[in-house]
Amino acid sequence: MVRIGFLSIAHMHAFSYGDAVNKLPNAQLVGIYDPDKERGTKGAETLKTRYYSDPVELLNKVDAVIICSENSRHREFTELAAQYGKHILCEKPIATTIEDGQAMIEACEKANVKLQIAFPCRFNTPIRRVKDMLDQGAIGNVLAIRGTNHGQMPGGWFVDRELSGGGAVMDHTVHIVDLIRWFLGKEVISVYAEADTMLYDVDIDDCGMLSMELEDGVFVTQDPSWSRPSTFPTWGDVTMEIIGTDGVISLDAFAQNFTLFSDKSNKVMHKVYTEDMDFGLIKDFVEMIEEDREPSITGFDGLQAMAVALAAYESARRKEPVKLD
Amino acid sequence: MIRVGVIGYGTMGQVHSQSYKELENAALTAVADQEPKRREQIEQELGVKAVSNADEIFQDESIDLVDICVPTYLHEEMIAKAVEAGKHIFVEKPLARSLDQGKKILALTKNYRKKVGVGHVVRFSPEYVAARESVQQGEIGRPAVVRTFRGGSQFPRGWQDWYADFELSGGVILDLVIHDIDYLRWVFGEVERVYAKSTHGRTTAHLEHAMIVLRFKNGVIAHVEGSWTNYPGQFYTTFEFSGDEGLISFDSRKTAPIVQITAKQSEDSKDVVIPENPFLVSPYTAEIADMVEAIKDDREPAVTVQDAFDTLRVALAAVESAQTGKVISL
Ligand SMILES: NC(=O)c1ccc[n+]([C@@H]2O[C@H](COP(=O)([O-])OP(=O)(O)OC[C@H]3O[C@@H](n4cnc5c(N)ncnc54)[C@H](O)[C@@H]3O)[C@@H](O)[C@H]2O)c1
Repeated sequence: MVRIGFLSIAHMHAFSYGDAVNKLPNAQLVGIYDPDKERGTKGAETLKTRYYSDPVELLNKVDAVIICSENSRHREFTELAAQYGKHILCEKPIATTIEDGQAMIEACEKANVKLQIAFPCRFNTPIRRVKDMLDQGAIGNVLAIRGTNHGQMPGGWFVDRELSGGGAVMDHTVHIVDLIRWFLGKEVISVYAEADTMLYDVDIDDCGMLSMELEDGVFVTQDPSWSRPSTFPTWGDVTMEIIGTDGVISLDAFAQNFTLFSDKSNKVMHKVYTEDMDFGLIKDFVEMIEEDREPSITGFDGLQAMAVALAAYESARRKEPVKLD
Repeated sequence: MIRVGVIGYGTMGQVHSQSYKELENAALTAVADQEPKRREQIEQELGVKAVSNADEIFQDESIDLVDICVPTYLHEEMIAKAVEAGKHIFVEKPLARSLDQGKKILALTKNYRKKVGVGHVVRFSPEYVAARESVQQGEIGRPAVVRTFRGGSQFPRGWQDWYADFELSGGVILDLVIHDIDYLRWVFGEVERVYAKSTHGRTTAHLEHAMIVLRFKNGVIAHVEGSWTNYPGQFYTTFEFSGDEGLISFDSRKTAPIVQITAKQSEDSKDVVIPENPFLVSPYTAEIADMVEAIKDDREPAVTVQDAFDTLRVALAAVESAQTGKVISL
């Protein structure tokens, strides 16, 4: 039995991750620490667990933690958990600066605890199928990929630069970049980006466009914009068009849905019945601890994805492509 | 009655010729193509005079309008001759293969007393016209991020395989994606900078896929994409315009109002699925009707040489960016 606690549930993914822990026979949700007592208490109620006002008290009762704090606080919680010898699943992006990300990786190495970054898309069934197809060379050599990871404007701390480290580009670039690194085993070597605030009255980028160059001459574009209106039938999308020498794969990761026209909520909704990728992520994390193997998504993976988002901001400022080391 | 001579009876020459036949105020008089097979076709399909040399069209005094449907790299030379002969001119897009050629055409047609129009046909496609109206009526609020796609069909095969020669055709950006570049300029105004990627030069596979990032002067960010494939795919287009008060989303694969499915009639035939998207007037006929009316009414046609030149500049900047890896500011 792997005993798990949350260090902050500021990120709403905490709820689906917590549900997954509750569903797993080999994991136990011990409790939630959150600096915001009200949020923590409510969250503990929803997830049928206990609220801890002292993170150390919780840490002393668990084997592992899930960190769902605001992005800029990932480092402090990671260092704390590492200090107490606990394994860590940290929400993406790994951090908001390269320095913080590196410090987190080092702290976990030094404490000999495992650090996994939460990129749940790697556990989406259609996405996993595409990974298999590419591994089998189904479309020859991949030449280019067009990606989108649209969303709605999340509000809250996501639009507070101090806490989030960036807006739409930071929020949505890392998923696609992680998938592409995973699919192709290649790093991004340069990025060009446009980023701006045009959709909402917020003090952070709410839309943008990235055009990236990978090793070996593959290019990738990615649209991270919070451009889904509030009337959009679903939260957003993860799509890719993968162009190979022998064909094309079109991926729409959440196409497994039906449409609900609801008078009750005055909305049209896509009801997604794709297998729950958050459950897949948590199951993998728990198994990793039980089997004492390496995390399937490492701190380095998290760092590489974040570095691309940071370079995108630099590119948007300089209006030219930026190289990554 | 406007009397018309068409030059080049390939894919587009055939489409234009049929459109003239549909119009009541135009008469197709002669069609030129130096390929004997094409001339046979002209006589059979159109029942009009087929000539082997375009000069015969320019010299024919009864012809008011010449419609140029030869490969892109020949547009400038044909326009020069048409101007010399004092004809009204309709020319297929792109205006020219190079900026130099484009500038020469601009100079040639400046203060020209006859009408010159360019075939940016997307400005006559009902879905694109309707989307523009929606944007202009403010239905999506302030536009922010827009996306377009055009392609999915096989690498085109033209006369002497001219499309496969990048020096002659300019590849998928200049030939195909230019449709959307022109359309986006029509809706969102002028482009500030361009950054583009293309598979051209990166693979020996017989395909080209290009993805262009445009930044417009009004702030709009655009992702403009096009492809010619090496497999027998279905041509389609998509567009998506997002604004601060709404989103427009279109996918031509989902808009065919009719699908006909027929079972195979014999052992060696196949079941057939035919989607149909009928309109009374095709966009090609509409653009040509506009050209003919422009001559009659003594007004500018929908797409002027200057307009097409400005579109050409953006497309060529994208080609250059794809080749150099640099951002091109306009
Ligand atoms: N608007 C559109 O949707 C669209 C679609 C396809 C092509 N185009 C454009 O139309 C133009 C023609 O393309 P296409 O696909 O019809 O080409 P094509 O290769 O199918 O046809 C060109 C024809 O011109 C003839 N020709 C060549 N040189 C000639 C000359 N000196 N005199 C007389 N005839 C000559 C050839 O024999 C051939 O029949 C190009 O500029 C292309 O970019 C536009």
